[in-house]
Amino acid sequence: MASTAIAIFLLGIMWLSFEFGMTSSKELAIIAVMSAVAAMGRVVFAALPNIQATTFVVIVSGFVMGSRNGFMVGAASALVSNFFMGQGPWTFWQMLSWGLAGASAGVLKKVFPNIGKAGMTVFCLLWGYFFGWIMNFWYWSAFIKPLSLKSFITVCLASFWFDSLHAAGNAILYLLFGITFTKVLKRFYRRLKVSEGRSGLKKSTTC
Amino acid sequence: MEELFYREKDLFLQKLHPTAAMVFICVLMVLSLIFTNPLYLAGLFLCTGFLIRELQGLKSWEFFLKAGLLMTIPVMIINPLVSKAGATVLLRGPRLPAFGEIDISMEAIFYGAVMSLRLLDVMSVFCLYNIMLHPDKTLNMLERFAFKSTLVLSLATRMFPAMLRRLENIREIQAVRGVDFEKGTFKEVLDKYMNLIYILLLSSLEDSMEIAEAMQARAFGSGRRTCYIRIPFKPRDFICTAAGIAALFAGIFGAVKGYGTMVFYPYLGHLISREDILLLLFLHMMLLIPVFMSWGWRRCRYFR
Repeated sequence: MASTAIAIFLLGIMWLSFEFGMTSSKELAIIAVMSAVAAMGRVVFAALPNIQATTFVVIVSGFVMGSRNGFMVGAASALVSNFFMGQGPWTFWQMLSWGLAGASAGVLKKVFPNIGKAGMTVFCLLWGYFFGWIMNFWYWSAFIKPLSLKSFITVCLASFWFDSLHAAGNAILYLLFGITFTKVLKRFYRRLKVSEGRSGLKKSTTC
Repeated sequence: MEELFYREKDLFLQKLHPTAAMVFICVLMVLSLIFTNPLYLAGLFLCTGFLIRELQGLKSWEFFLKAGLLMTIPVMIINPLVSKAGATVLLRGPRLPAFGEIDISMEAIFYGAVMSLRLLDVMSVFCLYNIMLHPDKTLNMLERFAFKSTLVLSLATRMFPAMLRRLENIREIQAVRGVDFEKGTFKEVLDKYMNLIYILLLSSLEDSMEIAEAMQARAFGSGRRTCYIRIPFKPRDFICTAAGIAALFAGIFGAVKGYGTMVFYPYLGHLISREDILLLLFLHMMLLIPVFMSWGWRRCRYFR
């Protein structure tokens, strides 16, 4: 119960920062599109075991569009895809995990602007495991006793192969397609900023 | 996958006000997380089952229960492995490097079983949510508190099925051009699938510009938004909400007084007392009110 409350609290904080931040209509539309594309990532690779392009798309979105937008893309993609696949107790935690993946990618961009392909590949790989551990957290906190490090490690060991496949999938996807994907998104994101500046609509279109 | 998990069936429980439905679902969820007594959890499971049956969602429930049963396997295995608090040791296992000596106790096995039941309860409540509340109604509720986020969610929810159709079109076009998605090495297959996503991404990003311009043309962000509430809160919604809240307070009262919770370690505590029976009766009466109302709604025109 407490763990679910923590997840909802964290989601709430990030959500509020998005609500009270300045966001233009074009930014909102791009976030919605990226959320839908990320949600599609769960479907496209359904045939390949636990390879989820969602994490990769969310990380690239966060890296290009910043922490706040990256979080929103991650959280929205989990919620939206589950409207079609079925919401479950995993939804909050998927929202939190993918949201944090996007937000951390934004922070990574600020700290290491020129991180490079190798660094990003490692980051994607690590998020495969982080995602699994966050998802394990709710399971562990709600259904396992005693709540000790040993029992948590046991739960993580049980999901190790799934997490490893997820991590390897993320790394391979970034290694093969990360640069092009980032370029495409960067180009559109820059275009969005430029068109607003020229037309002088920046103030009127933000809310 | 192109259709929502929710199906409109014109049923009483689907016609409840979204707030009333959400309150009731949240009460079921909170109660299943508060109680640790298997009798209470089994009762909640049955109540949720009756509600799902009233929503003609037994097939969806089967899907959720199958997934839930798979998830209970680690709960059943890990609890006896890591817990050393149980006094009735049934089996002394080998000494493992990280775990120490493995003692399988009856209390830990029982705890694992009860937690599995709780997991099935939680899964059933989510199944109920999926078949009871249309996503649009959920988003409508959220809109009042977080309109920008809700707008993103609404747009993405509309785009998702459209993108799936578009993806299928792109796949067919690629197949006509001779691309075989089944053939090739792992990298080649991945490459082909990723090409699909590229094309989809580019066309969708172009579309997003049009969406944004359409939003601007409709004065998005030009001032304070107005909100028009169209769904009335009817007496039936009031009754269901009141029943849910009464059950919640009874559950919290019981939990504070020590009913509904069970001692597992070092020895199993009592399963039921006289007060437990009274509380169980009251709780289930409250939780079954929407089931009775739904039954009446189907059979008596005065309920409509």
